[in-house]
Amino acid sequence: MVAHARELNPFECCGLLAGRNGAVVHHYRITNTVANDVRAAQVFDEAHVKGLRHLPETTRAEVAYFMDPKEMLAAFKDMRQRQLDLIVIYHSHTASPAYPSTTDIGLAYYPEAAYLIISLEQKSKPDIRAYWIRDRQVVPAEFHSI
Amino acid sequence: MIKVRIPTPLRPLTRGQGEVEAKGASVAEVIANLDSIHPGLKQRLYDETGELRRFVNIYVNEEDIRFLKGKETALKEGDEVSIVPAIAGGR
Repeated sequence: MVAHARELNPFECCGLLAGRNGAVVHHYRITNTVANDVRAAQVFDEAHVKGLRHLPETTRAEVAYFMDPKEMLAAFKDMRQRQLDLIVIYHSHTASPAYPSTTDIGLAYYPEAAYLIISLEQKSKPDIRAYWIRDRQVVPAEFHSI
Repeated sequence: MIKVRIPTPLRPLTRGQGEVEAKGASVAEVIANLDSIHPGLKQRLYDETGELRRFVNIYVNEEDIRFLKGKETALKEGDEVSIVPAIAGGR
């Protein structure tokens, strides 16, 4: 995930982690299509979060992400076939802390997944934190790297 | 019958089921039928103007209904409908 975040910097990366019984075994990189899917701006407007329309398309991915719907569907299908559960939804913050923004909270539609954020605010020292976001309440989610 | 995949946030309305079956010749008819079996589903999927909420992606088999005929997309026996909320955010 850190490699993914660094590769796409200054743009935000996004992806999914899946596994069984809370242990991650599979990583899906998903394309951030916030700049080129017209629906992204509509979804952001509907949720009354950060407006994208005033931003040039070329810079939208520096401050936001929108997972490619087709790749998401393929990832969920793959999880079903492998009998894996969605465990983590991750994205990077390239210039802000690893804490969910009001945009992240307003657009959190998956109560069963931990939302993990990789902050590249300090380029040499990525900060990785995870949270449960349920009913707009943010609670830190514990995780261990093994 | 049409098989419909229900995302986790809506499963409290389907007694926890991730897959349900419904009748209908279009996506809108299937949602109406689902709502009669699992009241409240329609309200979660449509906005106050009667249009599908923007963050709700609906697929017929693998195709996004945005690129078909939206909620009027025709369905036939054996089709699978997937309801998948968008995943998005930003700093």
